[in-house]
Amino acid sequence: MARDLAIDLGTANTLVYMKGRGIVLNEPSVIALNRQTGEVLATGREAWQMIGRTPGYIVAVRPLRGGAITDFEITERMIRLLLQRVGVSRFTRPKVVICVPSAITEVERRAVTDAARRAGAADANLIEQPMAAAIGADLPIDEPVGNMVIDIGGGTSETAVISLGGIVALEAVRVGSFDIDAAIQNYVRREHGIAIGERTAEEIKMAIGSADPTPQESQAEVRGRDLMTGLPKTVILTPEEIRYAIEDVVSSIVSSVIRCLAKAPPELSQDFLVRGMYLVGGGGLLRGLAQRIERETKVPVRMSNVPLEAVVLGAGHVIEHYDALKGMFMGARR
Amino acid sequence: MIWVIVVAVAVLALVTVVVARRNRSPQSSVDSFRRQIDALGPAARRTVVDQVQTAAGREPDPDVRQADERRAEPDDEDGPRGA
Repeated sequence: MARDLAIDLGTANTLVYMKGRGIVLNEPSVIALNRQTGEVLATGREAWQMIGRTPGYIVAVRPLRGGAITDFEITERMIRLLLQRVGVSRFTRPKVVICVPSAITEVERRAVTDAARRAGAADANLIEQPMAAAIGADLPIDEPVGNMVIDIGGGTSETAVISLGGIVALEAVRVGSFDIDAAIQNYVRREHGIAIGERTAEEIKMAIGSADPTPQESQAEVRGRDLMTGLPKTVILTPEEIRYAIEDVVSSIVSSVIRCLAKAPPELSQDFLVRGMYLVGGGGLLRGLAQRIERETKVPVRMSNVPLEAVVLGAGHVIEHYDALKGMFMGARR
Repeated sequence: MIWVIVVAVAVLALVTVVVARRNRSPQSSVDSFRRQIDALGPAARRTVVDQVQTAAGREPDPDVRQADERRAEPDDEDGPRGA
């Protein structure tokens, strides 16, 4: 008998929660394929290590962008392999709850459920990421008070006000931590004339990236390919440069938080001043982001204790109480 | 003749379901909402946390263990951050 599963199918990472067991898988959402035969060569962390370092016949891809499936067939194969790794087989088909961005279209929604069913799920239901994040971050969403959660993922950033188990106000933008990496890549190419890969850009972000000045900042030495000569070259990057490079992305995220605050009913707005807003998702780990949002909104921002796992833990809670909470699935309320 | 009976029974069943749904007591929606709110409350969350913690101390699921054994994972480098 298959144990039911909750899946956080993120643009960057896929996490799987198994009913009664907790998180059983946490891997990058990457798949490596043989370009000629179409065979899968690796998934998850193994495939992630291949990004930008493959010979011509291998391609390592992320089949999701902005929280939506860009390649249906590859996504289905990736989900199938990940489910096999947690024990799902042709004879054990579990019920699955999948977390998706709230702003995805009907077509994108159907693509996710179809991919999961074809990959081995007996039944697939969707839940909005901010709702799952709020449950996973242990916010008291069962009470008639304003709970605000900001979920910054790889491809999307969503802010939601939740009260009495439902979303009261929501604002989503298809901008996330991958856009921060891309902005760093573009800046280094434009200003220093060197090309760097997406993994290097991510390492720069994690080493010296920040949304607001922070104490004890240091510089980073970056190696890439000189666009003029084609030779390897080293440049020094400062935190100020990176802040400048990612400013557009950061402002877009902060603006969406402000728009969500403006949509909230006044009765709930006053709760935020006392309770604060909760930041979850890998993008929320960007240094100075909480302080920048706090400075611009004048509302306290708190980091969740489990920023990377909050979404899948919330979906896991739903799978543990499937019958009582099935009314929360996308489509069930409409 | 048998088909007429089958169709009649099917129509009757359908009508019964529709009528039952229409006449559903308002209390059922109240109960359903109450169940949902209770399942989101701190007591329900405690159950999940306990269950997961207990599970963490148990032997791993044979299915999961076999799947993990099939694939030795390199742990020299962390994956990217970001959800």
